[in-house]
Amino acid sequence: MSGNDNAAGVASTVVDPFTIEIVRYKLEGIANEMCTTMLRSAFSSIVKEGRDASASLFTPQGDALAQSSSIPIHLATLIPAVGQILKTYPLHTMQQGDVYILNDPYCGGTHLPDIAAAVPVFHRGRIIAIGATMVHHQDVGGMTAGSVPPNATEIFQEGIRIPPVRLMEAGRPNETLVAMLRQNVRVPDMFMGDLNAQIAAGNLCARRLRDVVESCGDNLLAAIYGELLTRSETLTRQALGRLPQGTFRHVDFLDNDGIELDRRVRIEVAVTIRDNAIHFDLSGTDAQLRGPFNCVPSGIHAAGYYTVRALTGSQIPTNAGCFRPVSLHLPKHTLVNPEEPAPVNSRTATVIRVAGTMIHAIAKAAPERVPAAASGELLVMAFGGNGYDDKRIVVGDMIAGGGGASARRDGVDSLDCYTSNSMNLSAEALELEAPLRAHRFALRPDSGGPGKFRGGLGVLREYEVLEGEISLTHRGERHYTGAPGLAGGHCGAMAHSLIRRRGGGTETIPSKIVTSLHKGDRLVVETAGGGGHGDPRQRDRVATVQDVRNGKVTAAAAREIYGITANGGSAE
Amino acid sequence: MQNSNDVEVGVDIGGTFTDVVCRLPDGRLRAVKLPTTHADPSRAVGQALTHLAEVWQVPAARIAHFSHGTTLATNAVLERKGARIGLITTEGFRDVLEIGRQFRRSPYELEPAAEAPTFLIPGALRKEVRERVSRTGEIVVPLNEDAVLARARELVAEGAEAIAICFVFSFMNPAHELRARALIHEAFPAMLTSISYEVDPAFREYERTCITAFDAYVKPILDRYLTGMEDDLRKCGVGGPLLVMLSRGGKCSARIARQRPVRLFLSGPAAGVIGGCAVGNAAVIGDLITFDMGGTSCDVALVVGGKLMVSAEGEIGGFPVRVPLIDVHTIGAGGGSIAWIDGAGTLRVGPRSAGSEPGPVCYGRGGTEPTVTDASLVLGYLDPENFAGGSMRLDPAAARQAVAEKIARPLGLSVEEAARGIHRVVNAQMAEAVRSVSVYRGADPRRATLLPLGGAGPLHAVAVAAELQIERVLVPPRPGVLSACGLLVAPVEHERSAAFLRALDGLALADVDRVLETLDAECMTLMAAEAVDRDAIQVLHFADMCYVGQSYHLEVPFADKHEADPLARLYADFCTLHDRVYGHAMKGPANIVNLRAVHRAQGLPDFGRSEESAMKAASVRHRMIVPVAAGAPVQATIYDRWALRRGDSLDGPAIVEQSDTTTIVAGGWRATVDASGNLMIEVKHG
Repeated sequence: MSGNDNAAGVASTVVDPFTIEIVRYKLEGIANEMCTTMLRSAFSSIVKEGRDASASLFTPQGDALAQSSSIPIHLATLIPAVGQILKTYPLHTMQQGDVYILNDPYCGGTHLPDIAAAVPVFHRGRIIAIGATMVHHQDVGGMTAGSVPPNATEIFQEGIRIPPVRLMEAGRPNETLVAMLRQNVRVPDMFMGDLNAQIAAGNLCARRLRDVVESCGDNLLAAIYGELLTRSETLTRQALGRLPQGTFRHVDFLDNDGIELDRRVRIEVAVTIRDNAIHFDLSGTDAQLRGPFNCVPSGIHAAGYYTVRALTGSQIPTNAGCFRPVSLHLPKHTLVNPEEPAPVNSRTATVIRVAGTMIHAIAKAAPERVPAAASGELLVMAFGGNGYDDKRIVVGDMIAGGGGASARRDGVDSLDCYTSNSMNLSAEALELEAPLRAHRFALRPDSGGPGKFRGGLGVLREYEVLEGEISLTHRGERHYTGAPGLAGGHCGAMAHSLIRRRGGGTETIPSKIVTSLHKGDRLVVETAGGGGHGDPRQRDRVATVQDVRNGKVTAAAAREIYGITANGGSAE
Repeated sequence: MQNSNDVEVGVDIGGTFTDVVCRLPDGRLRAVKLPTTHADPSRAVGQALTHLAEVWQVPAARIAHFSHGTTLATNAVLERKGARIGLITTEGFRDVLEIGRQFRRSPYELEPAAEAPTFLIPGALRKEVRERVSRTGEIVVPLNEDAVLARARELVAEGAEAIAICFVFSFMNPAHELRARALIHEAFPAMLTSISYEVDPAFREYERTCITAFDAYVKPILDRYLTGMEDDLRKCGVGGPLLVMLSRGGKCSARIARQRPVRLFLSGPAAGVIGGCAVGNAAVIGDLITFDMGGTSCDVALVVGGKLMVSAEGEIGGFPVRVPLIDVHTIGAGGGSIAWIDGAGTLRVGPRSAGSEPGPVCYGRGGTEPTVTDASLVLGYLDPENFAGGSMRLDPAAARQAVAEKIARPLGLSVEEAARGIHRVVNAQMAEAVRSVSVYRGADPRRATLLPLGGAGPLHAVAVAAELQIERVLVPPRPGVLSACGLLVAPVEHERSAAFLRALDGLALADVDRVLETLDAECMTLMAAEAVDRDAIQVLHFADMCYVGQSYHLEVPFADKHEADPLARLYADFCTLHDRVYGHAMKGPANIVNLRAVHRAQGLPDFGRSEESAMKAASVRHRMIVPVAAGAPVQATIYDRWALRRGDSLDGPAIVEQSDTTTIVAGGWRATVDASGNLMIEVKHG
């Protein structure tokens, strides 16, 4: 908001600057109301409870105009989905009452459970906008219930693939398509219920947008679209100009691909910021994987868009204008641009790591402005077996690590990061559902990367099986590399998980495992810490003494790493 | 509870003004706004009593009930000014408070702030003891009593003023929490304690630990404050009890309230909604949206069929607080919201606010950035000589200059155009907030009546209504003191709940009744301590319910006791409510999560007629204003609210002035004074 930016940024316009801001509120209001409509009318618990749904408005040309405040990864992946639909079905072929859907990662989607639906909005015979939604469907078929098999080796095992198709034509459902879909999913009524919720959101978008057009006229609306995009582009370019200029690199790793457990997966990013634009080059990233941690380009674009939005400031209205200065190079046959039919269902972990690597490349060049790496881990576990009433149960738990430290403050303990945003499960909720007992839900001392500002702590959880046999799916990350520190700050502690068998044996979990637990067995999981910032020897003594008192740093670590005794004296 | 010679007094202490209202035995209502003395809010009480005695000739002895709304608990959290406290938990769980739910409110924030309220109790003051209760309430590890005493001793040595206790599954079996508290009281009789079983006996340990910690955090402060106020009232000769407003919309005696002070959170906005609801009920309007706009924020709430919406939890300063409260949605837009131009030349309003200090530029207290109120002055909506009843003089030249320099000149527009733009943008923000509140709860805003309150509400209400195609706006006689009026009509109420995690299928009614009887007995004990007529007590029962597999629940009232199959009726009512709130219902199996008893004594349901009505002679003036809907200045007729008589009607463009607010009636709308003295503003058809 400085004077200079202002002089450069004021765009010439036929629309007054207030109407632009008012229409922006209305468009964002419509996107949020579409999302509310879906949450209210959906059937599956993943949508109603997990809120795994998003909505966006697009121009007829496919530029994102406004988004609901939802999950970052969804919103960015709707952009290529709508682009693919418009490519397959040009505007002049669309009719009022049409609904288009797709989920195929090799054709505009990112993984099969996420189904995009797009509805053209007509006004006086012309298309004035596209309303689009993305919902994570609980099951889309494939080799396991839930359609995210960790051991998949090709996409055909992951569920039904839907290319861009017309689900409804001029208000009439495509019965052939619906029959095919119903036949290929495990719970057809739930599937169709959620799909209908997406259609309801599209209809709402059409109705409300017509009200907006009536109040300002369609020519004016088109001019406002153009202004909104240009203004966000201007603000983004200004912000990019204030970031360090040049090319910045960083390499990081995923633990493994779920199939070859001993091989680390390399992610390499070169970020170039120049001439008010930003380019991400992922050359040097590993070839495509056998296991499902591949990610198609649209998912990697989502990581790039997330990075730009996070670095340029939350006051810029999010729309396609923000992404005009963004380009990516994703070499073919790598895990970030895999060839069909590579499996992709676990791409969430890949997108988190790519976003973290992008941000860290820039952080190394701007350590005063950008924090050290967050854990970059979301431990996903599923406990399956017989519940107390002998009913089959599957209980999921998702556990985050620590946040990264910045040049101003310590990282936040136990916080989800980057493109992901989930909630953990309470001990009491877990025990009410599954024959397990939670013995410890604790912060992990010394797990925050040491630094002048300390990284956030990871979490320790200990579970005991009370009866019967429980199947455990454990999908971890950061078991073999720590979240990097910045400006002399150290890495966060790595994640670590083990099983203590009742008979006495102890097994370390190699990041990913599908196994069985029996009565008396204990599972102890520890998530990774965030990276530290600055030299730990420069840390405020009082802060370290407080950390020891509060149990975040042990007395031994205070002495050895921070050079301070428990009462604040010098350890040397 | 009413005695015909009694006087009811309501005092609402806000950041800038203390509102005092008083209902006389003959039904007349008197009201005044006094400036709040920041250093000591309780001094406002003395001021109020002086005003009552000297200006209104109401001696302290005639006060039957002194009802009070306080923001002290809320402010202690927002300003981090609570007490130093300790926490004792089950072994293995002391960090639950700090681990939180790991969810980020702002996912694009590069440097996210902590989402869990660690500031309440840092690790050094969180202690563990060995004990464990299972999910069925069975004791699997006995309480280590020596450890309880040892940990309490450590906390006392650390200077803790209160101790919170939260054990896993204590809502299934509170024996260990009760025993731990008894041990602590025996060893340290003066120590204040909060145990989770009493504060919030419901499942999910993080939320329960949080709310128990919040309770302990504000307990010493509220204890001192309310005790002090009771002493002051007694010294001044007030015979009636001190009642305080609770977040659920009832009030109770201060003596009981301070045992669970967390129930005082967010009670300020609740009083305003109660006041609005009473106005709507008197005017026989069932569906209302109350719209409370002040200096820094705007509170929006829904009234459906004359009933308030109660929510099972809310948030305070971004932290979850699991207390039942009136469902109020707050957005950061108010008269003090600052207008600015971003790097691309777009006019933005908020989220920064000039607040009450320094306040808008026109207050002349050092503010330099143009606000919504400054724009109102430029547009001619406010009379600079007669703002807040003439108690404050506004500086129109300064407001004009700020809007000109910071907004109009950079955009190449006239000052009036810039000011109009500020209003249009802030009105659009508020309209979206009102829409989202109603749509989210399954109501169509177009069918509701907008009820503005707060100093700035009536200034924007018609414009916001027009944005939403709402055709009726109801302005109460004294919108600026409606919260204080709400204190007068709020019922005296006590509420007790118990966790009851049971499937509805195969549930025996006797099991439900047994728990409700216990809760009723607890409520009766509490009500016995209130000065209310026993026969006037209404007993209500509720079940918090959800479909199997859901993680949120709805509060469903039990219908009449004489229902043939009360549980079948409960299920049917749950499905209907689910459909209304969430837009769908299914015939699937449902669970009860908690049972609750509420005992309520409703006093007089309305707060009387305004003293000032038709006290002044009609004097019609004119002023040029710039309407927000169209650019050209028009001549508006200016009315004095107290010169209007019942049945009078007036056409926009017009402005109605009174000491606590200014109402704008836009062109195309007509205002009529109804039988209760409200201003009903409606779209003129044809």
